[in-house]
Amino acid sequence: MDIAEVLNHTSPDLFLSDLTATDKQSALAEMVTGLVAGTTITNNETILQMLQSRENLGSTAVGPGIAFPHGRTLAVQKLTILIARSREGIDFDSEDGKPTQLFFMLIAPPQDSGHKYIKSLAALTDKMQNTELRDKLLESADFEGFCTTLKEG
Amino acid sequence: MHPQLQLLVALQDMEQMIQEAEDQKKAAELEGMGFNLGGLDGLKSAQEELEAKIDPRHRNYYRRLTKHFGHAVVPVVGNLCTGCFASIPASFVSVTNENKVQKCENCGRILYWP
Repeated sequence: MDIAEVLNHTSPDLFLSDLTATDKQSALAEMVTGLVAGTTITNNETILQMLQSRENLGSTAVGPGIAFPHGRTLAVQKLTILIARSREGIDFDSEDGKPTQLFFMLIAPPQDSGHKYIKSLAALTDKMQNTELRDKLLESADFEGFCTTLKEG
Repeated sequence: MHPQLQLLVALQDMEQMIQEAEDQKKAAELEGMGFNLGGLDGLKSAQEELEAKIDPRHRNYYRRLTKHFGHAVVPVVGNLCTGCFASIPASFVSVTNENKVQKCENCGRILYWP
């Protein structure tokens, strides 16, 4: 899947430039709050519970300084992606033990026509192998700049 | 939302996650992206704990529906049950029904308003 297509599932309202959370649980809660604020989604409790279950299955912090909290839930009707950054970095139980600064949160409905959810996750994890691109994304001034950098990277 | 419905929705989400982690093809896809799915046993324990919190009456009904349909809880979209596409009466979403676990009058699936 093309990265521009992935970005169709997010919006400026789903971009948290600098999280205030300092630990994993509060970071997940802050991102879910941002998701509810930026969409018509209402059931934040169900989404948070699903994300916590997913983290119990295995940390989603798999890239260098990057995490992809993700999962399917009845609480959403279409694939929705929230992007968040943390200047200070957050301990997200990454394999390398380093703090996580960049987050792509993907929430999908149980049934997902065209496998957009898995394809988007694959496209993002593939793109984020590039550490130089990750550094540029951390420096992007705003949502538009972030998206432009991601498409060009 | 009715607290029991909240639990049923969480249970269904968790069971889908477990199914995907146990599905060799889907698990391989996620592992190929670098995700670790090693906590499956812990997730199954959490599922059992969650299930124990559900009233036996709702739990048994949920199990019967899951066996029959695959998914027991379905979202209502555009006043339609997305399980059987029967129309859901507007009275189902009135304030007086907030404390009920609502079922589709046509197929019996548990209804959830996202």
